[in-house]
Amino acid sequence: MNWLGWLHDFLADPAHRSGPDSIVHRLLEHLAFSAEALGLSALVALPLGLLIGYSGRGLFLVTAVAGVARALPTLGLVTLAVLLAGVGDTAVLLPLTALAAPPMLVAAAEGVRGTDPDVRDAARGIGLTHPQTLLRVCVPAAAPTLLAGVRTASVQVIATATVAAYVGLGGLGRYVIDGLATRNYPTTVGGALLVVLLAVGVQLLFALLIRLAAPPGARSSPRTRARRTGGPSEDPATVPASPPALVKEVP
Amino acid sequence: MIRFEGAAKRHPDGTVAVRGLDLEVPAGRTTVLVGPSGCGKTTILRMVNRMVEPTAGRVLLDGTDVAALPAAGLRRGIGYVIQQAGLFPHRRVIDNVATVPRLLGWDRRRARARAAELLELVGLPPETARRYPAQLSGGQQQRVGVARALAADPPVLLMDEPFSAVDPLVRAGLQEELLRLQGELGKTVLFVTHDIEEAVRLGDRVVVLREHGEIAQLADPHTLLTAPADAGVAAFLGRDRGLRGLGLRPADSVPLTGLDPAPTPDLDLGRRIPYGGWELALDPSGRPEHWTRGAERHPVPVFVPSRDSLRAALDAALLAPSGHAVAVDAEGRAVGTASRAAVVEALAAANGTGTGAPTPEQVPHAGR
Ligand SMILES: Nc1ncnc2c1ncn2[C@@H]1O[C@H](COP(=O)(O)OP(=O)(O)OP(=O)(O)O)[C@@H](O)[C@H]1O
Ligand SMILES: [Mg+2]
Repeated sequence: MNWLGWLHDFLADPAHRSGPDSIVHRLLEHLAFSAEALGLSALVALPLGLLIGYSGRGLFLVTAVAGVARALPTLGLVTLAVLLAGVGDTAVLLPLTALAAPPMLVAAAEGVRGTDPDVRDAARGIGLTHPQTLLRVCVPAAAPTLLAGVRTASVQVIATATVAAYVGLGGLGRYVIDGLATRNYPTTVGGALLVVLLAVGVQLLFALLIRLAAPPGARSSPRTRARRTGGPSEDPATVPASPPALVKEVP
Repeated sequence: MIRFEGAAKRHPDGTVAVRGLDLEVPAGRTTVLVGPSGCGKTTILRMVNRMVEPTAGRVLLDGTDVAALPAAGLRRGIGYVIQQAGLFPHRRVIDNVATVPRLLGWDRRRARARAAELLELVGLPPETARRYPAQLSGGQQQRVGVARALAADPPVLLMDEPFSAVDPLVRAGLQEELLRLQGELGKTVLFVTHDIEEAVRLGDRVVVLREHGEIAQLADPHTLLTAPADAGVAAFLGRDRGLRGLGLRPADSVPLTGLDPAPTPDLDLGRRIPYGGWELALDPSGRPEHWTRGAERHPVPVFVPSRDSLRAALDAALLAPSGHAVAVDAEGRAVGTASRAAVVEALAAANGTGTGAPTPEQVPHAGR
C-alpha cells in the first residue's frame, strides 16, 4: 500500500473522527501546550530582550544563550526533564519553554537594537521618556524582527511538541508514537503530516503578520530593510486567504 | 533667550568637545552656529535640551538653568530638528507631527487638527498627511520634521544641519521656507550648519566656531563677510566671500536707465530696443523675450531690484550678451536696464558704505 492509501485509512478511522483520539482533539491538545510553552517563554524572553536591546547592556548574554540553545538536544532535554520532574506536564513544558526562549530573546534584542539611531535620538529629543521611546518607537520599529523570532520559536515548539507523547501527554505526537509502537503506519504518517501542516500553517500566519507589521513605503532605511528581508520568503501569494487562527493565544 | 555660561563638555574618554562657551542667543532671532566638522556645534546645540549635559558651566533658558528642569518636559517645550529628520517610520505623517501635542495631553482630534495646520504651514499638500514617512521625498520628510518640531508652538527651535541631506535646489527651497516661517513666527532659532552660505543666508547672527567650541567670530552676516576677525575665519569663509557679501546687498541701489520705447512698425508684435549692436525684444505686455542680433537670439538675464541682491544684478549684467542687465518688476515686465559699468558703480558704492551692519530691511530674503 502506498502512503496515500495510508493517509486515507488514517482519515477514515472512526477513532480519528471523534472522541479522545480524534484529530481535532489531538490538534487542540498539541496547540494548547505549545501555546502554553510559547506564552511562558515570551513572558520572560521578550521583555528581557527588549530591555537588553534598548540599553545595549547584556548583549553578551543574548549571544551566549543563542549559542547554547543551538547546541542543546531537545529530545535529551525532555528526557532529562522527565527523569528529574517525573512524567507530567512540567516535564514537557520546561524544555519546550527553554527551546522557545532563545529565538525570541535574540529577536527582541536585535530588533530594538536595530532601530534607526536617528529615530531614537529624535524621539528622546522631542520629549519621549525612555519607556515611551522603547514602547512607542523601538517596539513598533522592531515588530517585524520580533514577529520573525516568535515565528521561529512557534515552529520549533510545534515540531518538538510531538515528543510530548513520549511522556504520556497527548497531542499529534500520539499518532506518530502509537503508530510506530503498533506498526500501524497509516497512523504514523497521518500524524506526521498533520504536524507538518500545522507548522506550515503557523509559518504562513506569521508571514502575514510580519507583512502587516512593516510600515508601508518601499524606501525604508537599508538597516531595517536588511532585517526585514532576513527571514524566509514572505511572498503574499503564498499567504492563505483565511489562515488558521490557532496561535492567537501567544502574547 | 538662551544663555551659555562657561558651558563645557568633556567626554569620559577625555575628548574635550566644548571647552567653555559663553554665548547669548537672543529671543526671536536666528542664530547660526557654523564651523568645521567636530568643532562642537552639535554638542552645544544639544546642551540646550539636555541631550548633552554640560560637565562644567550651565545653560540658562529664560534665566532658568535647564539642568533644574525635568528633561522630558523641557524637550517638549523646545522644537528639535535633526539632519535625517528622524521621523517615526510606523506612524503616519500626521501622527508624527501630532506627537508632542499628544505627549502634552491634547486629545487626538485637537492634536491632529493642529498637525494638519502645520503641514499646511510648512507647505505640504494635505494628501501627504495620511502617508508614511518612507513614502515621502527627503525634502518632504525634512518639512515634516520641521512641522513636528513646531507642533506645540515652542518658543525655541533647535536645528542641527536640517537641510544638509537634500540636494541644493531642494535645500534652497527649504531655506526660503524657513525664512518665511521665521518671518511669521519669530522663534528663537539656534541653527547648526557647516555651510557658510547657508549660515549667512539664514542667520541674523552667525557664530563662527573653531576647535572645542571656541568662538572665532560672532557677527551679523554682512560684517562677517566683509570684516572677518582673523585669517582663520577668512579662510573658512572662502575666497569668494566678497561675492557672497554681494548676495546680502539689495540690488535697488543699481541706477537704472529707462527704456527708450523706440516703437517699431510692427507694434502688435511688441517692441525692439537697440543697445549697441543688440536689440532687446519685448512682448506686447512689456516682458523681455530675447536679445537679438541678426539671426542670433539669446535669453534675457533679469533681476528684480526690490527683491534680488547685487549679486543677482551683477550676474544678469555679466550673462547678458549686450552687457545690459534688464530690471523687471514683480510681474516680469521690463522697467529699465543697467550696464555692467552701472552695476560695478553700485558695487563700489555698496562696499564704501558697507562696513556697518545692514538693517534687516536691507537684507534681501530677510525681511522681517
Ligand atoms: N560620545 C562621545 N565620546 C567622545 N567624543 C565625542 C562624543 N561625541 C562627540 N565627541 C567628540 O566631540 C567633538 C565635538 O563633536 P560634535 O558632534 O559636537 O561636532 P560637530 O561640530 O557637530 O561636528 P559635525 O559638523 O561633524 O557634525 C568631536 O571631536 C567628537 O569627536
Ligand atoms: Mg554635528
